[in-house]
Amino acid sequence: MFHWLEKHPFFFSVLVFAVVAFAGLIEIVPSFAQQSRPVIGTKPYTTLQLTGRQVYIKNGCNTCHSQLIRPFKSETDRYGHYSVSGEYAYDRPFLWGSKRTGPDLMRVGNYRTTDWHENHMKDPASVVPGSLMPKYTWLYKNVADVDTAYAEQLTVQRFFDVPYNKPLPMKDGSKETVKLAATLAGARAEALADAKLITANMKDQDVKDMVKEGKIPEIVALIAYLNSLK
Amino acid sequence: MNIAELQTYGYVAAMGILVVVSYGYIYHLYTKRKDADGRDYEEYGDLALKDDITDTPISAMSKK
Amino acid sequence: MENRFKDRPLEYDYSVTKLFMWATIVLGIVGMLVGVIIAWELAFPAVNTMFGSAIAEYTNFSRLRPLHTNAVAYGFTLSGVWASWYYIGQRVLKVSMAESKFLMFIGKAHFYIYAVAVVGVVVSLLLGYTTSKEYAELEWPMDIGIVVIWVLWGISIAGLIGIRREKAIYISIWYFIATFLAIAMLYIFNDMEIPTYFASGGIGNWFHSVSMYSGSNDAMVQWWFGHNAVAFVFTTPIIALIYYFLPKESGQAVYSYKLSLLSFWGLMFVYLWAGGHHVLYSTVPDWVQTMGSVFSIVLILPSWGSAINMLLTMKGEWQQVASSPLIKFMVLGSTFYMFSTLEGPVQAIKSVNAIAHFTDWIVGHVHDGVLGWVAFMIIAALYHMAPRVFKREIYSKSLMSTQFWIQTLGIVLYFTSMWIAGITQGMMWRAHDEFGNLAYSFIDTVTVLHPYYTLRAIGGTLYLIGFIMFAYNIFKTMSARPVEEDELVNASPMGA
Repeated sequence: MFHWLEKHPFFFSVLVFAVVAFAGLIEIVPSFAQQSRPVIGTKPYTTLQLTGRQVYIKNGCNTCHSQLIRPFKSETDRYGHYSVSGEYAYDRPFLWGSKRTGPDLMRVGNYRTTDWHENHMKDPASVVPGSLMPKYTWLYKNVADVDTAYAEQLTVQRFFDVPYNKPLPMKDGSKETVKLAATLAGARAEALADAKLITANMKDQDVKDMVKEGKIPEIVALIAYLNSLK
Repeated sequence: MNIAELQTYGYVAAMGILVVVSYGYIYHLYTKRKDADGRDYEEYGDLALKDDITDTPISAMSKK
Repeated sequence: MENRFKDRPLEYDYSVTKLFMWATIVLGIVGMLVGVIIAWELAFPAVNTMFGSAIAEYTNFSRLRPLHTNAVAYGFTLSGVWASWYYIGQRVLKVSMAESKFLMFIGKAHFYIYAVAVVGVVVSLLLGYTTSKEYAELEWPMDIGIVVIWVLWGISIAGLIGIRREKAIYISIWYFIATFLAIAMLYIFNDMEIPTYFASGGIGNWFHSVSMYSGSNDAMVQWWFGHNAVAFVFTTPIIALIYYFLPKESGQAVYSYKLSLLSFWGLMFVYLWAGGHHVLYSTVPDWVQTMGSVFSIVLILPSWGSAINMLLTMKGEWQQVASSPLIKFMVLGSTFYMFSTLEGPVQAIKSVNAIAHFTDWIVGHVHDGVLGWVAFMIIAALYHMAPRVFKREIYSKSLMSTQFWIQTLGIVLYFTSMWIAGITQGMMWRAHDEFGNLAYSFIDTVTVLHPYYTLRAIGGTLYLIGFIMFAYNIFKTMSARPVEEDELVNASPMGA
């Protein structure tokens, strides 16, 4: 058998492939069904939150910030309850990160406010002296891409049955529904309404003016996303 | 039998087979020492050294 | 069969090798320069806006970091691997690219489509089009381009093997085949994504896509890919290189061909299981984590099998290490390979990982592998190929030697500073005071790293300087003293 393989590159390649593919088959495939079930209290993202999530990805926040709290006392003391698989059910892609140049953000919505983020993103070192984080000034000028977020919502609803417009059980026993607009215009209007709630707590006049004109700056969407991380 | 159980059996069986095959291969290499053409494996080290296009192939294609 | 070879031109054709050699050098400079810039950004955040705050969006750390990793891994490294493939492939199979117009066309297409894709990748990453998955950041239109390039390479491998004159397949070719197959599988499965523009009936940005996997599943697939992208871009093809270039340059056949075969199968079987060590203490199933940990330790065996085989190849010929800087690159390369394949499994032990994960120690580990092993081997490969491709001696031996020492110093500064930084930070994160409260706020654990970040940036800068010396040396080789065929048998000819 061995003699033969050494001289037959085609069958040799088939065997290499089988050996290499084998691990994936055993390790990954069977776990799929079990893990994607959301835990109670997990909600899909609203249009504005998902817009913010895309801003987060576009600016590579995940290169320095993790979203994974490991089950150690030092981590739960610092960041809150350790992460549970079902909490990530609606995260496409996952944003665990692999490097904490800055702190974990898994539950940042529990202990940071809109106002804090507004000041921090403009000049991180003025809020946290010694911070290495760059200033993200362009977030206050660039208009966020709500349309693409809406397209993503429609896609995940259609292909992965993400439960928009359905009552979902919450931890306190109540039900909540995350709305998904039927039309693009509706989604834009909803995102804008959510954005106005955020800007009510913000100081930057240019940002407020932009929202008044119906444009949502990236910073507003990003804050909506960060506030949703709990 | 659920899928996790199947997964476990599949894993154990495959590990067994692969261990046997790998050790079989070691045994094969070090007892036979020579491949199907009766050539010592170590001669193939020369594939890198005698690689000019005018060098005679270690085992030529046209032989077959 | 016999007739086909009768009137063949008795020369190997290195035109595609040459193209990829230039790509290796250009992308090496770009990738390493970006790396050096972001290293200084971490040491001195003001560097983020050094190029003006108007374009700070495109020059800040988080936008540039994926560009750095992509440029060095898929730019510099793959170009170096492909330059070597189009060189080694012909030689050990004893068949010239000139013998097949078809394969020559495929080789050229491979290069030019790749060159176009590189431009696309640089622009799209700078604009922030990213899937966020590490080492698989490219969005779907780019992914399709990558698949085309990969298929072209596959045709080239199968084609050269198909018309080969040497029936036995040298170990290097085995490793090239494994690289091709594994990356094809990993890349396709990890990049399963749905373009939202088409799925939603034409809304939003056409470039955007959404992953087919969510949460923990996405993480598991991603790190199954991420770990093995390291295996099959930074390990298997580089082993292919050293199994050819070290014996050829030193004139010593590989120490044990049998051991090379065994290590090959060992590596193939074990490597794929180890991906779980990237998600220890996360929300993926425990048994996947344990498996990742255990197999990472087992991985030491086949890795060291190859590395020891390389070092023993120099048996009785160690004076060559002293006399030839080219051999120095390769011997230090395999030493760093041993070193990082021991360090990796140590970091995969769960209790060590609890401290090391999320810190700079991981960054240090990656870099002693890529700077010391991958880049050194590719540099050595290009130095060995240059005299054969240009038919001229290497411009300067002393320049090569200086480069070697500067870069080695750079690597040492890099990994030592990252070790200290990583372990310091890991320990500070978990420190509690006598009352059970956290001893340090997060920012304390950041400011303490400043000196190490500065040292790392200096190390990286030294490495880049060495690489520019390398580029200059190769460039000058094109107009150096022409050499005769018989000077090119083993040790490469070098000018003073």
